[in-house]
Amino acid sequence: MRPTLSLLFTLVIPLILCLSCSEEQDFDQFDDLNINPAVASSIFSFVADEDFINTLTAVNTFYTQTFIFEAFSEQFVAERLLEGTITYEFENTTSKPLNIIVEFLDAGDNVLDFENFNIAQGPNETQTRNVEYGPNGKPLDILINTASIRVTGRNLGDTVSVSPEQDARVTMQSAAEFIFELVE
Amino acid sequence: MRWLKCLALVPLLGTYILSAQNKQLLYDFYEIPQSLMVNPGVKANEKWHVGIPVLSGISFQAATSGVTVNDLFANDGIDFNIKVRERAINSLSRRDDFSSTSQIEVFNVGFRGRNRPDDYYSFGMYGETDIIVYWPRDLAILAFEGNGGANIGSSFDLGHLNVRGEMLNVLHFGINRKIDSELTVGVRAKLYSSIFNFKSTNNSGSFRTSPGEQNILENSIEADMQLQTAGVDEFLDIIDQGTGTRRRDTRNLFTRRALLGGNLGLGFDAGFTYKLNEQTTITASILDVGFIYNTKDVRNFTLEGAASNEGINVFLPEDVDNLGTDLWQELIDEIEAAVPYDENSNGYISFRPVKAYGSIRYDFGEGSSKTSTIDCGCAINVVGGRSEQYYRNSIGGQLFLQKRPLGIQPAVTGFYQRRFGRSLSIKGAYTVDKYSFSNVGLGLNLQAGPINFYILGDNLLAYRNVADSHYASLQFGFNIISWNGN
Repeated sequence: MRPTLSLLFTLVIPLILCLSCSEEQDFDQFDDLNINPAVASSIFSFVADEDFINTLTAVNTFYTQTFIFEAFSEQFVAERLLEGTITYEFENTTSKPLNIIVEFLDAGDNVLDFENFNIAQGPNETQTRNVEYGPNGKPLDILINTASIRVTGRNLGDTVSVSPEQDARVTMQSAAEFIFELVE
Repeated sequence: MRWLKCLALVPLLGTYILSAQNKQLLYDFYEIPQSLMVNPGVKANEKWHVGIPVLSGISFQAATSGVTVNDLFANDGIDFNIKVRERAINSLSRRDDFSSTSQIEVFNVGFRGRNRPDDYYSFGMYGETDIIVYWPRDLAILAFEGNGGANIGSSFDLGHLNVRGEMLNVLHFGINRKIDSELTVGVRAKLYSSIFNFKSTNNSGSFRTSPGEQNILENSIEADMQLQTAGVDEFLDIIDQGTGTRRRDTRNLFTRRALLGGNLGLGFDAGFTYKLNEQTTITASILDVGFIYNTKDVRNFTLEGAASNEGINVFLPEDVDNLGTDLWQELIDEIEAAVPYDENSNGYISFRPVKAYGSIRYDFGEGSSKTSTIDCGCAINVVGGRSEQYYRNSIGGQLFLQKRPLGIQPAVTGFYQRRFGRSLSIKGAYTVDKYSFSNVGLGLNLQAGPINFYILGDNLLAYRNVADSHYASLQFGFNIISWNGN
C-alpha cells in the first residue's frame, strides 16, 4: 500500500496543484465600475382651453400653480445627480399669444431659476426647449435645492377672440432625463 | 456605494465562494461508500463503513454558464466598464446562471444487517448550501442604462428576477437491499432542518417608458413579484446588533437551526442497480424528492399591481378647483397604492431541487486474480465466485437531470473506470452540460487497509486557468471501511 500512498501524495496531488494555475487577475478593477443609468420621467403638464382663458377677463393670469417638488432634492438623488435635461413642449392653437413661466423655488420660496416661454398665437407648430443641467448647462444646485415649482400662465392677448381651430387650447408638457451616478 | 458594486456583481463572485450538483464522478463509483448518497441502490460491497467525522465527504461545486471571473478581472488592460458591458450586460441571457452547492458530511455510518446480510443500512448527517442566481438580464440593463435614452420604448421584463438559495442540515437513514443476483434497490429517508431559505421565482411583470398621450413620457409598470425568506431575519438581526456576542449568537442560532430547531421538511432518495448480464449494468436514482415547510422566522416581500403615470396632469377648467400644493406627493402615493410593496409572514413550502441519475456500465478485462476479490469477504455481491471487482475496467454513460427554477437542466457523461486490484481505482469522465463542453474529470479511490480516501475533481482542463473556468468541482473524503472482520 505504501507505493500507492506515495503515488498519491507525491505525484498526483502535486501534479494537480502544479497544473492548476490562473492568469493574473486584478480585482481592484472593481473600483473602476461606473453605473450611470439615464432615468426618464414626465414631470408636469397642463391643458387650458380657449374658452377658459377667455372667461378670465379681469386678470391676464389664467393659471398659476405652485406644487411641492422634492424629487431632485431627495438625498439619494441629490448625491448622485450628474447631468441631465428637462424638456418642455408647448402647443398653442388659441387665438392669443401666451406667456408661461416655470419657476424653481427653494424651501423659503425664493426663486432659484426660471424658464420663460413666450408662445406666439396659434395655430403654430409645437415648440420644444431642452434645458441642460450639469457640466454643460445650468448648475445642478438649482435642481438639488428645488423644493417646489411654480407654473404661471398669462394671456398676452385679448379675451374675446376665438380661434378658428376646433377645440382650441394651449398645452404644456415637460419631462426630465437625468443621469445618475449609481455606482462610482 | 461599495455595497452597490457588490450587489451588482454578487452573482459573479458568489459562484466562486460557494459551490453545483452533478456528482458524475461519485455516481456508481461503488468502491466509495458515499456513492450511496447519490444512489441508495448502488451495489454496496462493504461490511461496514464509518466516515471520518466532518472529513468523510466534502464537496464544493461552482458553475457559471456565462461570464467567468477571468472575463472580467483578467489584468488585460481593457476598461472594466467595457468588459462588464460587453461580456455581461450585452452578452448574458436570462437563462445564464451562477450556481453553487456545497456539502459537508458531519458523519456517515453504514453497516450490514446481522440477520439480513442482504441489507446494508446507512445513516448520517450532512450540511448543504445550494444557491442559484439567474442573470436578471432586463433588470441589469435597467440598472446600468436606465429607462431613458435608447431604452425609451423598451419593455423590461421583471420576470427575469430568478433566485433561489438555502442552507440546511440533513439527517438521513437509508436501506440498500440486494433483491437477487441481478437487482439491488435502495431508499433513503431524509429529515431536513433548514437554516435559511430564500427564493424569488415565478415573478412576472414589466416596466416600460414610452411616449405619452398627456405628457411627453409615460412610465408604466405591471408587477407580480415576490421574495420569500425564512430564517434570514434572525441572522440579520444579530449582525445589526453589532454586539460583542455576535459570533457566539450566530453560532448558537446556526447550531439550533441545524439540529431541528428551525423549519423542518421531509424527503427521500430512491435508486436501483440492475445487471442486464454478467458485464452490463444499468442504474438509476432520484434524489431529494422532498420539501421544507417554512413557518418560523418568515419574512416575505411582495410587489403586486399595475400603474402608469405621465407626471402631474392638470386640465383646465376641470381641475381649477382641485389644485393643491401636494400634487407630486399625491402622484407618488397614487402609484404606491396601485403597486403596493408589502411584507408578510405567511408560511410557505419550498421544494428541494430534485435530481435524477441514470447510467449504463459495461465491465470488461478480467483481473488476474479472482481470489483477491473473493478474499474481500463481502460475499453479498459475489456471484458465482466472481464479483464486479473482478473486472478491471468499466466503461459507460450517465445522464443527470436536475430541476431548476427555469426548467430541467441535463448533463451527459461518458466515463471509463480502471481498477488496480482492490486498493486503487481511477475513474475518468467527460461531461457535457450547459456550463461546459470540455469537462474532463478524474476520480481516485484509494483503499489503504481499512482507510479509504477518495478525491474527485471536475473540469481539470480548466485548471490551466482556473479563473476562466465555467465549472469547478472538488469532492474528497476519508472513511474507514471493513470488507471483512478487520
